[in-house]
Amino acid sequence: MTQKPLELILARNLMSALSTPAFLVDEGGVLVFYNEAAGTLLGKRFEELGTVGPEEWGSMFGPFDASGEPIPYDELPLVIAVRNGRPAHADFEISSADGERQQVEASAFPILTAHGSRGAIAVFWPAEASNGAGP
Amino acid sequence: MRVKLWGTRGSIPSPGPETIRYGGNTSCVGVTLSDGSMLALDAGTGIRGLGLALAAEPARLHILLTHLHLDHIQGLVFFAPAFRAQTEIVIWGPASPEASLRDRIARYVSAPLSPVEVRELPCDVSFHHCPEAEWEIGPARIRAASVAHRGPTLGYRIDDGDSSLAYIPDHEPALGADLDELDGDWISGLGLARDASLLIHDGQYEDAEYPDHLGWGHSSVSHAISFARRAGADRTLLFHHDPTHTDAQLDQLGRRARERWVELGGEADGLDLAVELAEYELPARAASAASAT
Repeated sequence: MTQKPLELILARNLMSALSTPAFLVDEGGVLVFYNEAAGTLLGKRFEELGTVGPEEWGSMFGPFDASGEPIPYDELPLVIAVRNGRPAHADFEISSADGERQQVEASAFPILTAHGSRGAIAVFWPAEASNGAGP
Repeated sequence: MRVKLWGTRGSIPSPGPETIRYGGNTSCVGVTLSDGSMLALDAGTGIRGLGLALAAEPARLHILLTHLHLDHIQGLVFFAPAFRAQTEIVIWGPASPEASLRDRIARYVSAPLSPVEVRELPCDVSFHHCPEAEWEIGPARIRAASVAHRGPTLGYRIDDGDSSLAYIPDHEPALGADLDELDGDWISGLGLARDASLLIHDGQYEDAEYPDHLGWGHSSVSHAISFARRAGADRTLLFHHDPTHTDAQLDQLGRRARERWVELGGEADGLDLAVELAEYELPARAASAASAT
C-alpha cells in the first residue's frame, strides 16, 4: 500500500482545519489536496476534482497576470517552492469554476525534511481579505 | 518470528503493587527472527530484563528505536550486552536535521545523566539512521516510516517469511484526522500496519482522558481501535499504558475496548492489552492469528 509521507499527512490535517485557502502538492508537483476554503474560492471541492498532475493544475483556474495574460506554470509560487526548495510569493488573478475572476495573493513554501523535499504548500489570500487584515 | 513484551508502560516506569500484572517497565519488545537472530524494539527500562535473559551470545543484535524520548532509551545503559566486549550492537533510529543519532543518544549516555559515556561502552556499538527504503536484518525485511508523534518518530514493520509485526507504540494518527473517513494512504502509520500478523499500537488514554491530552502524541482507545480496524491486522495489542493506570483500571479499559471491538465486527481475540512478559509466536498470516503463549 502506498503511504503518503507523514509531512504531507500532517500538512493536510492542518489545512483541513484552516479557513484560509490552502493547496498541497507532493514532491513531484502533483496537486494532492486543497481544503474547503480553497474549494470555495475555486468553485469546486477537492473531492470533486481529485489529484491533478503537474502542469495540469497550473492552468485549470488561470492564473492571469495584471494584463490578463496566463502566468507560465514555471513562475507560479507553488512550482517555485517545490522545484527550487525556496518560498515564493505573487499576486495574480484566478478564474473560478463558474468563470468569475478574483484577485489573490499567494505565498508558497517548500516542505523539506531530513530525507529531502516532500512537496510544498501554498496559501491564498483573496485580495479583499488582505486589505488591512492581519498583523 | 517470536515476540516478547519486556516493557509495555508509557512515559515513565511505574513499578508497584498496582501495576504488577500489566507491568511497570517502559517500552521494549524482543523479537526473535526465524534464524534465531535478535532484535529489540526500543530500549525503555524493559530492555534491562531482555539483556539479563540473553546468554553471553549472540554476538550481534539490533536495537530499533522509534524515537529518543526517555521512556524509549532509558534502559540502554543498563543493557547487559552493552558491557560485553564480544557483543556487537547495531542501533537504528530516526534521522534529525539537528544532530546525528549517536550524538542525540549521547546526550543521555553521558555525564551527568549517565555514569558511562558511549565511547566507554565495551561492546562494539554503531548507530544508523533508518533508511527510507526497506532493508534486511537476517531473514527479515524491515521498514521504518515516520508517524504522528512529537518529534522525529518512526514506526516499524518487520516481515519474516509470511509473518509480520507492526510496532507503533507512540502514535496519534487521529490528530486533526477522521480515521474512519480518510483514504488509507492519508492515515499516519497505516502503510506499516496493514494486514500485519500482530500490531502493537499506542492505546494510552481512556476516551474521556484524551481531550486533555490532545496533541501529546498518543491515542485514545477508540482511536486505536479505529486504526486497528483500518489496518486489518490479525491481532492488535494496545500498548504504552498510561503510568497512572492501575491494573484494575486497565482491566476495565481492556474489557470496554474488547466489547467495542466486537461490536464493530472484530474477532473476540483480535484485540487485547499488552502485558509485560507476554510472548507471542507469529505464524504465517494466512495460517491463523498470533497466538499468545
